[in-house]
Amino acid sequence: MTRHGTRGLTRRTLLRSSAFATLGTLAAPAILRAQTSEIVIGCAGSHTAWMEEIVAPHMKSAIGADILFEGTKSSVNLEKMASNKDRPYLSVVQMDDPVMIQAVEADLLSPITADAVPNMADLRPDAVHMDGMWCNYVQPWAGVAYNTDFAPGGVSSWASLWAPENAGQVIIPSLQNTEGVWTLYAAAMLATGKPFAEAQYEVEAAFAKLEELKPNLLSVYSTMSQAFNLLEQGEITMLAGNFSSYTLPRKAEGVPVDLSAPEEGIFAMPSGICLVKGGPNPELAQAYVNEMLGPDMQAAIADFASSVPANTTVKAGAVVPEGVAIHSPDWAFVAANRREWIERFDKLMAL
Amino acid sequence: MSGRLDRIGLLAVPALGFLAVIYALPLAMLLAKSVQGPEGFSLAEYRAFFADEYNIRVLMRTLRVAALTTVLAFVIAYPTAFAMSRAKGIWLTVFLVALVLPMSLGVVVKAFAWSILFRANGVLNSVLMGIGLTERPVRMLFTETALIVGAANVFLPFMVLPIYSVIRQLDSRLPEAAASLGASPWFRFTRVTLPLSLPGVVAGSAFVFSMAVSMYVIPSLIVGERQQNLSMLIARSFLFLRNEALGSTLAAILLAIAIVVVLGSGWLAARLGARR
Repeated sequence: MTRHGTRGLTRRTLLRSSAFATLGTLAAPAILRAQTSEIVIGCAGSHTAWMEEIVAPHMKSAIGADILFEGTKSSVNLEKMASNKDRPYLSVVQMDDPVMIQAVEADLLSPITADAVPNMADLRPDAVHMDGMWCNYVQPWAGVAYNTDFAPGGVSSWASLWAPENAGQVIIPSLQNTEGVWTLYAAAMLATGKPFAEAQYEVEAAFAKLEELKPNLLSVYSTMSQAFNLLEQGEITMLAGNFSSYTLPRKAEGVPVDLSAPEEGIFAMPSGICLVKGGPNPELAQAYVNEMLGPDMQAAIADFASSVPANTTVKAGAVVPEGVAIHSPDWAFVAANRREWIERFDKLMAL
Repeated sequence: MSGRLDRIGLLAVPALGFLAVIYALPLAMLLAKSVQGPEGFSLAEYRAFFADEYNIRVLMRTLRVAALTTVLAFVIAYPTAFAMSRAKGIWLTVFLVALVLPMSLGVVVKAFAWSILFRANGVLNSVLMGIGLTERPVRMLFTETALIVGAANVFLPFMVLPIYSVIRQLDSRLPEAAASLGASPWFRFTRVTLPLSLPGVVAGSAFVFSMAVSMYVIPSLIVGERQQNLSMLIARSFLFLRNEALGSTLAAILLAIAIVVVLGSGWLAARLGARR
């Protein structure tokens, strides 16, 4: 008697094969990622344009890296790093100095060394922080963005934000955003009459002065692009604390906006880059940082994003307004107090 | 027969397993954090939340906006669902496409579109001034009214579809029978049609209220940081204040509201079903 066997497809075999197939499918992205030259970079949402247009193609040709960007706020990047501390998936993060301080305190960063990142040697000394825990790669300058149709003369003083004729015409950043501290410091400076270097510690005076700004506020933003859109449309006249890397490229595209450098001073945006401790592909991550600090990338980013390069061999980028002091605040003081300030600010500004 | 039913019940196991791992487990961990103090079990975070006048304002605003959004969505959805139930062929397709297609458009895009509509020199203000109703632009952006209109717009399909599915199955002979007994149109609507359609209204209201009470992106874009709701406070607690206990407490409060709404609407729907 002939046996018509179908031994190859018993129920058990089918179940086992299905289980392996499922596991294989689920594991495929991790296996493939481990074998490729892909690295994930956390960066600011507002940097996405030049990261995709300039950085990604350069990294592919220079170091053979496939770059995946996750653009969001600095504090969100910090939360991603902290939540995934045991199994980091970000290799490099570009975020602001006050958040870098928190990342160092949480033991989330690996130091950048000149051995692994030779271009570090060409940076301005003040661009290297806490013995190389992070570096500033470019520094946009921050002032007051304005609509040129409605404020053709520009914004000569931070006091203009408080001027009665600008009622309902101003938007400021939330203190959740790094650029939010510029308005706080402007308030402190105007309230006390002290220069920024001293006024930055006058927090009580700053909050009292901020309360006086409320009649002039249309809104407080945490998503900058929407606020900027309202500035472009003429719904508001002034956007406080905005920076050269965002406003000046839009101006160059013919949008009726410009960035004023108020006579009392402007601020240096603290754009930093760091290596994530235990992050995937560490050698590729170091090569990425080295390229970001190198003359080619520095010149390209500084030009594209109207920023000041950190590499001293590069002559490119934003022209910092002459005769106006640039203030770099005490970021350690900001990092130590920011949570309390955010809560206080939200309650003060609430309708 | 019952054995067969039992086996059919196994079909729900993947969904239940998925919910247990993706929803229930993280939620339980989150809730545990909200009652964890330095020395064990503690309700300190809850006490601190309810002791802060700002938090109460945020809670009341969240509930008010969700309720008004639900009411507005109902007012627009109810006649729409009736029109759909009478529509046939191409018109029914048009209705369904008009309802479903906007859902494929991101909230961010919609928010930018609303800013064009609501801004000082936008369409609405131009119309109002054009017909002489106002002399100067009315501020519409960054107001609670704009938020309610925007949220109702986003959630409208979730109100229309449950009501439509109930109305479509109504026995059209019942109002006709009432009419043959001399009932006026108003009496027929309030005593026959409306009560029979209420289960759909309850289900739609539960959907819309639950989504409106927990919305995050829409208020972030339309009213910004000056009018925070519970979800915005949760995000702030986790991302900016890095206070997991506070964030978990807020999430537990939001969950409690959602549970009350779902259980309440389920009870109401069951009662209305029994009355039918």
